[in-house]
Amino acid sequence: GGLCLHRENEAKSEGRAELIPSIKLRHCCLLRNQRCVTAYLYDRLLRIRALRWEYGSVLPANVRFHMCAEELQWFSQYKKSLASFMRSLGGDEGLDITQDMKPPKSLYIEVRCLKDHGEFEIDDGTVILLKKNSQHFLPRWKCELLIRQGVLEHVVS
Amino acid sequence: MFIADIRKDFYEVVANQRVVLLVAPDIDALCACKILQALFHCDQIQYTLVPVTGWQDLGTAFLEHKEQFRYFVLINCGANVDLLEMLQPDDDSIFFICDTHRPVDVVNVYNDTQIKLLIKQDDDLGVPSYDDIFRDEDEEGEDSGNESDEGSEPSGKRRRFDEGAVERRIERQRAKREWEARRREILFDYEQYEYHGTSAAMMFFELAWVLTKDTKDMLWWAIIGLTDQWVHDKITNMKYVTDIATMQRHVSRHNHRNEDEENSLSIDCMRISFEYDLRLTLYQHWSLYESICNSCYTSCSFKLWTLNGQKKLQEFLADMGLPLKQVRQKFNSMDMSIKENLRDVIEESSNKYGMKDIRIQTFGVHFGFKNRFLASDMVHATAALLESAEKDDSETDTFIKALDALSRSNIDRLHSGIELAKKKLIAIQQTVASCICTNLILSQGPFLYCYLMEGTPDVKLFSKPMALTLLCKYLLKAFSLCSFAHGVLDVEKGTVIVVGIPPESETSDKKNFFGRAFEKAAESTSSRTLHDHFDTSIIELKTEDRSKFLDALITLLS
Repeated sequence: GGLCLHRENEAKSEGRAELIPSIKLRHCCLLRNQRCVTAYLYDRLLRIRALRWEYGSVLPANVRFHMCAEELQWFSQYKKSLASFMRSLGGDEGLDITQDMKPPKSLYIEVRCLKDHGEFEIDDGTVILLKKNSQHFLPRWKCELLIRQGVLEHVVS
Repeated sequence: MFIADIRKDFYEVVANQRVVLLVAPDIDALCACKILQALFHCDQIQYTLVPVTGWQDLGTAFLEHKEQFRYFVLINCGANVDLLEMLQPDDDSIFFICDTHRPVDVVNVYNDTQIKLLIKQDDDLGVPSYDDIFRDEDEEGEDSGNESDEGSEPSGKRRRFDEGAVERRIERQRAKREWEARRREILFDYEQYEYHGTSAAMMFFELAWVLTKDTKDMLWWAIIGLTDQWVHDKITNMKYVTDIATMQRHVSRHNHRNEDEENSLSIDCMRISFEYDLRLTLYQHWSLYESICNSCYTSCSFKLWTLNGQKKLQEFLADMGLPLKQVRQKFNSMDMSIKENLRDVIEESSNKYGMKDIRIQTFGVHFGFKNRFLASDMVHATAALLESAEKDDSETDTFIKALDALSRSNIDRLHSGIELAKKKLIAIQQTVASCICTNLILSQGPFLYCYLMEGTPDVKLFSKPMALTLLCKYLLKAFSLCSFAHGVLDVEKGTVIVVGIPPESETSDKKNFFGRAFEKAAESTSSRTLHDHFDTSIIELKTEDRSKFLDALITLLS
């Protein structure tokens, strides 16, 4: 806006008033481009925010590859902000609100393995071998992440 | 060892543990698995389910999971082989085996620590007594101990003692040889025939009942498991009828529980009913005509591969007053007036044509307005899914699909199974017709033999054990003579799958001797064979060894 006005005034004072429409047009284009870029960057930001909810606090390498340094920094700050918020809930222990995104129906669920994933450790230290087409009956909270990643499928019967 | 109290010695033992379920690929095992899964869901017992298609798979699965799991439940596999010898487990692995394969290996019966058999002991087992097969090792030690004692005696008495000692030793050795010969005989008698015991699904249903956690779904699965044994000819008619009576008691109990005059159940609730229904495979999901043409019983009775047979069929239909147009329609579209007394009408006419057993005792299920299935429909549909020869599906993929089809929420899967089953039955019918018409069945002395070459249509379908066995039985019925062996070529692996079934008769005890025969024949000719299937009467053989193997088999069985 300011620059445009400046150029306009310049044009007027130098007696070249016929340039004013060109200046205005060019300026509108620049503004529009700026809006598009901003919209794009904002959309990226929203997606990066959603990544925290989908993948957890550690992003896979192929996703990080597509993010610039500033975005990574933003992500890490968002993470910190979310973590301190979660700590502030639920008394001393905090509450992990990224779990149980949908109201759970049961404590344990049946899952089917869609691809070979290798070994998977659960809370008490025991390891389960996730082989394609094997089915397991496991605590829900351990499976959620793998379900979101498409390794396991929740079997409803 | 046999478990006496299935609740205390099995369920409560695994209650707070994590378990591996190793499940064989047959419908009874799938049903048993569903029942057990439902129970485990109820009590939140964590488990891992691994489908196993043969002994190699079983071994691999065990190795993969033995570090992390202590308890293994084997469904329809493992009883008829020395499991500890095969798997070499650590001392703390415990195996619960619920298997219909008989005879149960004697080591499994007498092992007290690691093998727990979920098998009813009154199930006509004929297990040899302990002393007949196992001999304490102390008696050997006694021999050498006595000898060394006697060796230190003063020389004066030595000669007399020596003679006595030598005599006693000779006597002991003779007794030992006699005992060993008798042992071999007993074991041979015990192990020569392979047969099947009570359905695994029924065993687990009984567990559910004892825990009072049995539901209608579990009851239906138990019924399907039992029906699978009948469809695939694994149990005798008498046993089938006895087991049906047991199931009928449970069905009555469930039906009386819910319905009375005031509160009738919604149409969507599941109802199981006893049916004395026709032996026409899938007839309610097909047309009556197609079902008659493709059911083993009717097709063989009429000999539908002959012109004469076709004529008799037309007469049969005319005799019942059923117009061809009606009979070729989808069953559901047939006139109500015809459908009403259909069973009785067909039974009456069938008696005239020599088919005395056109009706069979079974059960049907009914939920919602559209969904009605007989137990045999479920068996055929699930079996077709389990053995479907799709290019991309591995064996575990089909296992999962078949398992899913058993849930009531997957009706679409079940319907696709029914369509596959129809194709399978038509393929069997056509293959039988062509085998008989082109004289592909050869008499090899003690048995009949039929070999399907590559290039035979549907040969891929028949490279699966259950389909092949059904084809065999169908062929045998059509031929109605002696025992039968059948080979199917699998081009990719360069092997032949061979199935042997015993002679067909009304009162047959369904005992199959081919398992042992195959083993001996393979041994004596050093043929390269793979005895991977849990049923010992099905083996894979290298194509090049086929003729010498067959020759050995003929000599063995004559």
